[in-house]
Amino acid sequence: MANALEQYVNTVQTLSTQGNFSQLCDFISKSAEVLSKNVSHLDNVLATLDIQQHSLGVLGILCVKYSMPNIPDFETLFVQTQEFIISCNGEHVRYATDSYADLCHKFTHNLVERKQPSRGIQILVTAINKIQLFQAQLTSIHADLCQLCLLAKNFKPALQFMDVDITDISKEGGHYDSKDFLCYYYYGGMIYTALKQYDRALYFLEIVITCPSMAVSHVMLEAYKKYILVVLILHGKLSPLPKYTSQVVARYIKPVCQPYHDLVNAYTTNNPEELQRNVEKHQDTYSRDNNLGLVKQCLTSMIKKNIQRLTKTFLTLSLTDMANRVRLSGPKEAEKYVLHMIEDGEIYATINQKDGMVRFHDNPEKYNSSRMLLQLDKEMQKCIQLDSKLKEMDNEIAVNPQYVQKSSGMHEDDIPGSSKMQNY
Amino acid sequence: MATVYGKLLCIYLLQNDTCNAKFLWKRIPQAIKTANAELGHIWAVGQKMWQRDFPGIYETLKKDWSESCKDIMAAVLEATRKRAFLLVAQAYSSINADEFALFMGLPVVEAVKAAQKEGWQADPNTKLVRPMKPVSQPDPLLANEQQLSVLTDYVSFLES
Repeated sequence: MANALEQYVNTVQTLSTQGNFSQLCDFISKSAEVLSKNVSHLDNVLATLDIQQHSLGVLGILCVKYSMPNIPDFETLFVQTQEFIISCNGEHVRYATDSYADLCHKFTHNLVERKQPSRGIQILVTAINKIQLFQAQLTSIHADLCQLCLLAKNFKPALQFMDVDITDISKEGGHYDSKDFLCYYYYGGMIYTALKQYDRALYFLEIVITCPSMAVSHVMLEAYKKYILVVLILHGKLSPLPKYTSQVVARYIKPVCQPYHDLVNAYTTNNPEELQRNVEKHQDTYSRDNNLGLVKQCLTSMIKKNIQRLTKTFLTLSLTDMANRVRLSGPKEAEKYVLHMIEDGEIYATINQKDGMVRFHDNPEKYNSSRMLLQLDKEMQKCIQLDSKLKEMDNEIAVNPQYVQKSSGMHEDDIPGSSKMQNY
Repeated sequence: MATVYGKLLCIYLLQNDTCNAKFLWKRIPQAIKTANAELGHIWAVGQKMWQRDFPGIYETLKKDWSESCKDIMAAVLEATRKRAFLLVAQAYSSINADEFALFMGLPVVEAVKAAQKEGWQADPNTKLVRPMKPVSQPDPLLANEQQLSVLTDYVSFLES
């Protein structure tokens, strides 16, 4: 038995020195069984390997340790994982992105089970920075980081990754799972919602529900519920989903979200009492889905939308009148709402306490300042970048052999230079 | 540890970042909260800020803060007053002097004095203060040549 471990160490050392990493990866995945039979000696094996020089060998052992049905000494394993993530050789571990990601998933899973999410955040940040090829590349570790941040109620560390728009997904040896993708955008949507960045939250949730799919995913279902609530808070109405949304959403997800569609219908009446009645009717469902807080924000949002609508009809309005029209308790409450909305830039108005009137204004922005020009400039730059990115991706697809083969309707044999031809 | 939590919480309040302050409060371990009553006092200010209850903010700010938070909390008071002043300037064409004083957390006489210093009119008979609209910030200057080159880029992009 000891021989098998010795052989493992020797092979790892030799192949690492030779730089023969693909072969080393094969060897390590074949050794998993032998290693798992010698769990008690693995720490000794670890001691003989150098994290920098034999990163892949260390990674293999850590993965085996995590795959055991129970982990006797998690503290040691935690320290070992931390050391590995901090000092492993990025070049080497790129040969085994799947095991690397797997290690992070299991590490996350263990922290979640032990209710210590905050301990892993910094380590995962390092892990992502190390394995990403460039900032806009999504890895399956992103979802883990978001999950830990949510559980630890500490969102800032995840924002540095979430604020970058993703243009590429790390394939991770074919192990990248759709669940990782959906979870990342779902958790991300929740984080942005918690920070009241509803715009971005809506974008993240929309990605989840418009993901091409053939089967119902629970992540998608929950995202759809939150999408409805966030869209009501932000826009006050549910616009039709994009055309590329898969059939699954209309066929299977919408029918089971009736309480949420009832909410949308109640919202369109613009009547706060109607909405309140609906909230009371489905309160159990909303609180079971952990969405009651967002539902309550819909109520506030409706009152604000109603006030905003008044600005389109009136130039001046008394606070008492306003309170009656939007069904508030009195002029004081109306004044409070107007004040908050002015501070948040949601309406343009001035209150005159002398005669208890509100005067509404047009948007004071004249679009003639250089600040506006700078902002326009930023938006233009974004469009230009998006355009070039699209062209680049389009090119990539256009020269993809599989695509060419399919779109031209040719059989593999007909393509000159394809592997089969060479065999003839 | 508790002082770090306390300072961070104060600084979030100074930035009027009540969202992050709220989640920081939620993630501070219960044991630390119980052992350090001051953290609770700081968060009491945060709660009032969340509700935008200006008189409440000033009321909760009136505490003997510990050495580590003292300066930041003094800055929070200043920032709140400034924010209230700007808000009143933006939102009111006339406001009752008593209410204005509540916004500012000052006695009526002092509040009115501060307003007059900014050029606002105060009518002692009607007890109304007439705020002036805040002056908009000066526009940043752009270099002409740079602007021209940017525009050239746009045109070449749109035409291609």
